[in-house]
Parts: sequence; structure tokens; C-alpha cells
Amino acid sequence: MSKAFELSKEGAELVKKELTRYETKHSAIIPALYQVQKENGWVPPESIEYLAGLMGLPESHINEVFSFYTMFNKVPTGKLHVQVCTNISCSMNGGRELAKKLCERFNVKPGEVSKDGLVTISQVECLGSCDTAPMMQVNDRYIENLDFEKAVQALKEMGAQ
Amino acid sequence: MPKCTINGKEIEVPQGTTVIEAFKMLGDDICHYCWHPGLSVAGVCRLCMVHIEGMPKLQIACNTEVRDGMVVTNQTDDVKDTVKWGLDFHLINHPLDCPICDQAGECGLQDQYMKFGKYDPEMAEPKVKKHKVVDLGPTVVLDSERCILCSRCVRFTEEVTETNELGIFNRGDRAEIGTVQGRPLDNNYSLNTVDICPVGALTSKDFRFRQRVWYLKDSESICPGCSTGCNVKVYFNEEGLWRVKPRYNAEVNGHWMCDEGRNTYKYVNAAHRLKKVKAGQSGDWSQEEVFPETMKLGEKFRAAAEKNPESIAVLVTGQYTNEEFKNFFEFVADELKVKNIFHWINNPEKFDDFDGLLLRGDKNPNTYGLKEEMKSRGGFKSLEDLQGKMSQFEWVLVLGPENQSQFPDLKEKVDLLSQAKSVIWLSACETPELDALRAPTHQIPMKTYIEKEGSFTNFKGLVQEFKRGTTVIEDALTLQEVVALLRGHELDYRNRPQPIGGTKKNHFTNVRGQL
Repeated sequence: MSKAFELSKEGAELVKKELTRYETKHSAIIPALYQVQKENGWVPPESIEYLAGLMGLPESHINEVFSFYTMFNKVPTGKLHVQVCTNISCSMNGGRELAKKLCERFNVKPGEVSKDGLVTISQVECLGSCDTAPMMQVNDRYIENLDFEKAVQALKEMGAQ
Repeated sequence: MPKCTINGKEIEVPQGTTVIEAFKMLGDDICHYCWHPGLSVAGVCRLCMVHIEGMPKLQIACNTEVRDGMVVTNQTDDVKDTVKWGLDFHLINHPLDCPICDQAGECGLQDQYMKFGKYDPEMAEPKVKKHKVVDLGPTVVLDSERCILCSRCVRFTEEVTETNELGIFNRGDRAEIGTVQGRPLDNNYSLNTVDICPVGALTSKDFRFRQRVWYLKDSESICPGCSTGCNVKVYFNEEGLWRVKPRYNAEVNGHWMCDEGRNTYKYVNAAHRLKKVKAGQSGDWSQEEVFPETMKLGEKFRAAAEKNPESIAVLVTGQYTNEEFKNFFEFVADELKVKNIFHWINNPEKFDDFDGLLLRGDKNPNTYGLKEEMKSRGGFKSLEDLQGKMSQFEWVLVLGPENQSQFPDLKEKVDLLSQAKSVIWLSACETPELDALRAPTHQIPMKTYIEKEGSFTNFKGLVQEFKRGTTVIEDALTLQEVVALLRGHELDYRNRPQPIGGTKKNHFTNVRGQL
């Protein structure tokens, strides 16, 4: 039996406010899921049940949205969620090699959490920053015009070992 | 009312009619999956393409309203080509496992492909593997690979049952039907999703792999499960009944029926049925031939009634047809002047229940008809009158329920009737509870709803006629036949309906000569 999930008081308030903002309640699903991810780091299955109760929507509707979008983390991530873009522009400028090297450097497999719980490295599709390829997104920060040393340096500054 | 032309034929339709509905009204062929007359429009399968004069592109017929003067066709080459390719795209990840698929023979994908398909697929990519044999709950099994994501089942749980169990999860070619965290699809209408699934993705646990549908005959009937009287189709072959499916009737059940009603085929099959008259009492039963034994009973019964009509009690359930009740009461109430007529209902606490969709607490198909028939005869006596008075009665005649398990107080009634001097119990099924009866009893085998014709009057007074579909137990009697035998009339048993494909001689062998 998984633990019951609950948002912080402010988080719950925010979700309730979002509910009144749009024509349909369904429009508030994405902001609500973002709030969960912001507070929890990822979106656990229990939170879907919790949101269903909070928002007065069927679980299946929330789960449909949740499973559709890849930007909701379906498993726990490390403290730094490193998303390396491997779409066309970034790939042509060495994005894939960068992701591979970073995995080796921090001793972690793609999509998994490093042993110290600090880093998760995943390859993602276009993040809309093709002019500064290759690039990566660490949590909600863009780090652009990368090479391997610059990426490692940036991650170290943010606390990775 | 707008007028439009469809494939060269003019038709006037009510305001708000969609083009696909106009096609259906005309009976013209149009390829479609996601559209279902009982659900909202999704417009996801993109197969009901039509060409509308004056519109630059093809339109989907299900989401286009008919407007006055519209000229529509789906016979142009570009429509046919689009449908062909559309079907091919639907089949990209479909396993094409028709030979082992339970839906084969009644599959939308097969049917449409035969009519509109490309027959020469050009998809060389490996197919995406998805979940197979997913246990969706107590009644339904899901095969995601066969699913074409028409979303009919999702809309059904959303709009009809409003239980929202199902959803389409993930995205693109990984999208699958499923329930949240594998919770069961467990509502009393879940098997409707199997009916509306146009492919073999959702199949019924009860029916899958038991019969190929092309070996089954079907017959239109009325569900005897409750007083709603859903219109149904019953599927059977020489081995018996296999399933019940709903039949459209806007006034009664729309397109749907409940899962409980779908079980009404089970007790009809020979394994559960009384085949001969069972005479005796608790622990000591003998099998007697139906016709002579019932006639013998009739003599004694009539003699007792003529001596004193008060010595006879009749316990009636609303499980027989209007015609049977009429015939029965003419004999018992009018001819024999029996006044002790009691109405036995399945469950007094739940009798007036209604689940808001179809299922009612009154588990009898013809309570209304029974009450109508008794109105002119002064109505029923209260069942409480029966308590403690049982021993006064020489004979108790019970018009028992077809499906005895629907009557939770069966055991109490059996205990009560054990105090009577002798009992005649009309019943379709063998029941262990009944075999515990301690009074001298004759259990007379009765026909079930699929083996007789007549009419049921549903809860709101709608009289619905139905025809005989098949015969399972040849010797079982209808109530009219019981009345005839009790009256002492001979029955021509040679001309009675025979089970299909049975080992017994049929009517024709009886009437033909010998060389």
C-alpha cells in the first residue's frame, strides 16, 4: 500500500485557483501536475488519486494527460535533472556524444538516478534552443553552447560530484 | 428540415442530423469505426470521409451536420483512396491474428477491410509490441495490439456509465487503452464495451474461445432478468445457449444491457434444467414421465378444487408471459374458483430499486402483466396470510421462478411449503434448495423464455412480444400446456418443438411413412 500523497497548503490553493481560471476543469490538469512535480520532484501514482479528489475529476482523465506528456517525470529523479537535447541541431553539434560522456563521467545510466542521488541524465527531444546547440536543461535552467568540459563545470557548480 | 443529396439520392433529415446519420438512414455503405449511434462524436478514426460539393477537402461524415442543399458522395476515387490508406494506417501495428482472434466473424476491421481495404499493405516496419491478455476486470480481457484506439469504450465509461474507468494512456504509437494503475473495469455494464469494440481488443471472459460466432444462430428475444425488459439477441447452437447481447430499442434499453442480464442464458442450458417430473420429498425423489404424471396430478387437483376451492393455494411469480397468465387464471381463478392466490416477489426490500440506467430490483419480466391479469379478479391476498396456515391447504401450486437464484428467500419459502400437504412446483431449473422440500412434491419442468413465445409487459406497461428461439428441453412444458394437462386434455407431444440437432426423432420422422 503506497503512502497517501498530499500537496502543500499553498500548492493545493494554487490548484484550486487554476480550476476557476479556465472554461473547463480539464484545462487545470497540466498546472496541477506541474505543481506536484515542483513540490515532489516527480509525479507519483498516488498523486493522481489525490488530484482527482482535489479537482473533482476522474483519475483516468488526469492519467491520460500525465502519461501523454514526457515532461512529467514518471520515476524519481536526482537533485539535478539533466536533460540533454539530442534533436537534430544538437545532435549535429555533438549532443548525443555529450549525453554519453556525461553518463560515463557521473557514472549513471540514462534516465536513472546516480548513486549519490544527485544526478539524473536523460536524452530529450528539441527544447527550442537550436541556435545555441548543443544545450541541456538542468531542472528549469538552460545551459547553452556546451562542450563536455563546460557541461561538467556547470554541473559541478550546481552541486554534482 | 434540410434536404440533401447523398450518392445521388435525395433525403430530408431533421435539423442537426450528421452526414453519417443520413447515410445510415439511406442504408448506404460508409466505412467507420469510432462513430457509434449511442455515443458522442470523437472523429478519431478518419475513415468516414465524404466529398461535399463546394468544399475543397474531404470531410468526415460523423462530425459534419447536414445543411440544406448539400451534395455528398463517398463514391469518388479520392474518397475511396483515402479510406483505403486510412485502413492501411490503422493496420500498421495491428497483429492481423484473425485466425486466433475471438472477434473474427463479427469484426469491424475484417468487415471494413473486405469492403474498402487496400489488400496490398506497404508497411515494412516492425510492429510495435503492446500488452496482450490484459485482465481488465471480472468480465473483460484486453488485447492492446488489436486496438485501433477508436475510443468507443472510453466514451462509453465516460458518458453512459459515468464511471470513467478507461482511458487512453501514453502517446503516439505507444498509446494504449487501460485503467489507472491496473484497477479493474468493474461495473454492471462493462460487457457493453465488448459489444461496441469494433475489433478484437476487448473480449468477454465468459464467451471468448468458446464458440466461433459463425457457428451460432441468433434469435430476437426479451431479457427475463428484470422488469425493464431489455431487447436482446440470444445466440445458440445445438449444444445450447452461449451468450446474450442487446438489441436496439430506443424506448426500452437504447443500445445497451447490463451484465447481469447477459447471464440469463446460463440457467437455460440443459445442465441446470429439470428434464422430467421430479416426484417425492426431501431425500427421496423419483423421475416420472412428464405428460402422464401431470395428467394424473390434474385429476387429483381438480377433484380437490371441486370439493373445496379453499383447500387450494396458488403462489405466483411474475415470470410467465401474459398469454400464460391469462390462460392460467381462467383455469384456476375462473373455472376452479380458487381464491387463495398469492404474489411471490423476489425481494421486498430491493423490489423497487433502480440503478439509474437499466437494472431494476424487480427480477421478474412480467410483474406488470401479472398484476393487470389479477386486477379484474380482485388482486392478490397478502403473503402474511400464508404464515401458519399452510397445513390447511390440500394442494399448493407454485408458479416458480425460471432462475431460482434470483429469489433470495427461496429457502424460507421451501421451509414454509414443507408444512403443506402436497405441493406442485413449476420450475425450469433443478435447485438444491427445492430438493429439501419436506412435503410430498411434484417438480414440473418448465420451458424458459427462449423456448416459448408470448409477450412480457415491462415496468412501464409496454407489451413486448417475442418468438421462440430454440428448444433445449423437449419435454419441458409451457404454462398453457400445464393448464391443458391439469384440465385433463391430451397433448400432441409428437408435434412439439424439438431441440436442434438432437438425437431424438423430429416432427418429420414422426409423420413420414415406412416402406
